Amino acid sequence: MILDLQTPDFGIALPQVIVFGLAIALVLLDAFLDKAKHFAWLTGLSLGGYAAAMVALVGQDGENKSTFSGMFVADGLTVFFSLIILSAAVLSVMVAASYIERLEGRMPIGEFYVLLAFSVLGALLTTSAGDLIMVFVGIELSSLATYVLTAFAKRRLSSVEGALKYFLLGIFASAILVYGMAWIYGSSGTTNLDGISRHITSQIGGEDFREPSLLLGLLLLVVGLGFKMAAVPFHMWTPDAYDGAPTPVTAFMSVVPKAAAFAATVRVLVQALGPLRDDWLNLIAVLALITMAFGNIVAISQRNVKRMLAYSSIAHTGYMLVGLAAYQGGQTGFGTGAAETGDQGIPSLLYYMLAYTFMNIGAFAVVAWLQHRGAGMTLDDFSGLATTNPLAAAAMTVFMVSLMGVPPLLGFYAKYYVILAAIDADLLWLALSVVVLSAVSAFFYLRVVAVMYFNEPDVQPRATTTPLLNIGIAAMVVANIVLGLFSADLTDLAERWSDPVDVEAAVADGR
Amino acid sequence: MGELGVEHFLFLSAALFIIGMMGVLTRRNLLIIFMCVELMINAVNLSLVAFGWELDHLGGQGFAIFTIAVAAAEAAVGLAIILALSRRQKTMDVDEIRSLRD
Repeated sequence: MILDLQTPDFGIALPQVIVFGLAIALVLLDAFLDKAKHFAWLTGLSLGGYAAAMVALVGQDGENKSTFSGMFVADGLTVFFSLIILSAAVLSVMVAASYIERLEGRMPIGEFYVLLAFSVLGALLTTSAGDLIMVFVGIELSSLATYVLTAFAKRRLSSVEGALKYFLLGIFASAILVYGMAWIYGSSGTTNLDGISRHITSQIGGEDFREPSLLLGLLLLVVGLGFKMAAVPFHMWTPDAYDGAPTPVTAFMSVVPKAAAFAATVRVLVQALGPLRDDWLNLIAVLALITMAFGNIVAISQRNVKRMLAYSSIAHTGYMLVGLAAYQGGQTGFGTGAAETGDQGIPSLLYYMLAYTFMNIGAFAVVAWLQHRGAGMTLDDFSGLATTNPLAAAAMTVFMVSLMGVPPLLGFYAKYYVILAAIDADLLWLALSVVVLSAVSAFFYLRVVAVMYFNEPDVQPRATTTPLLNIGIAAMVVANIVLGLFSADLTDLAERWSDPVDVEAAVADGR
Repeated sequence: MGELGVEHFLFLSAALFIIGMMGVLTRRNLLIIFMCVELMINAVNLSLVAFGWELDHLGGQGFAIFTIAVAAAEAAVGLAIILALSRRQKTMDVDEIRSLRD
């Protein structure tokens, strides 16, 4: 083998490079900056850094190139998932800033932002992975930072306990995931995702085709990724970790690591194992159904709003899996272009993930808003919120109704596209179960609304000001109402997820 | 006794992986569960290197090095969390750690 070194093209990795620079800058500033300046400076720097990365994303859009010897891919999928992750990062900073600074015994805010930035970086690298190694390293970077964030309120036992459960099941899942990757690598001879796809396509049905070992790898991968995205029956950690973590961290970890897990799933199952799609589509469809059913039904019995939202986020994982199960692109995986194959599944998944970001972080933001005012997180703490704080109650109502999927809010469009994709893929039973289970979910979402509007307030909330959090909640309310009107633009962007990618010549030749 | 082939390594690796998995599922001590997961990850490393050897391809060895690095980071984070927990609570038994329940 001739050693062929090439200068990587950092230009097309600009958003990821900016977030990496942000993480390093935060580490240094946290160490050397005057403690009194931490809150204002580091919050500003984080918001500015993520915003700059979002601007850089515009330049990445439509590039469709790979660099770092095929390790890094900037295609439509990267751009859309990065958009989701960076929006979630900005919103998480807004929700977290005052919470970390004031509640639970003043947690160190600099360290919080550093861990947040590394988790975001890990998720971004997962979405842009062109290689099994990158998928694994990205998803681990994202998870490891999130384990620490979950334990961030370390004086409170439940926070550490939630982190411990998340950690133990998370590394168990990682071990299964990487074992699956080892088998895929062993049976296809390469770790490059497109290379795996090409290898399987050329060998399929042939004499050397190692189908059993590929299927073993596939099964292990689905189990590992199922843990990471909190699909039933691999969801056991979710309620405890979501309940124990500080509320802004819960908001963050219900979106970013989940987005990373879905990005990894699309990369690995669709891009690399696309030729085996007949083997995994049914598996994903069944997983989607039980995830939706379990999440929605168990959420009914929850009195703790954070736990209820945890089960609801499991249910939403199920809806997104419906989008994946409706994938009907060609068996050659990527590079065929969605327009030609008529695939609606992956664009609907992407759109749902974006909508979910604004609904779910919003709901947790209102819980954090109440915690600032001395309330807890049970249903009773919401009683009479409409009398004491009509605006907060209205915001929570928007998020609840949007999570339920009522027109004209964003959550409705998201469910609509998923259902359309499922019908398009002849999965009528799955489309029907989405509708029926959404009706079930109305019970626990509307109960929160009813408690806020029809019960008498127990206690007068403590007076306090949370400007950044209020701006964040307002922005998410507006997004939930307005973004649905721009669905056409968003789905156009999402449909470019599988545009053909220019692969570096050296990678295309090699195996 | 025939020549040592890749299948020997894969069987050893699978055995180690299953032993680790059984340990995670049956043992109740936090540190032992943690060590069992490490065993699983090292079983995977063995598989990766064996596959790389069979395919005469460096990718497997490179992947194993990344996995080792990730496992080291996991150990650092995991032990820190276990330490933080042991300050609050004097038990190492996962069945007794249950302040969070439905």
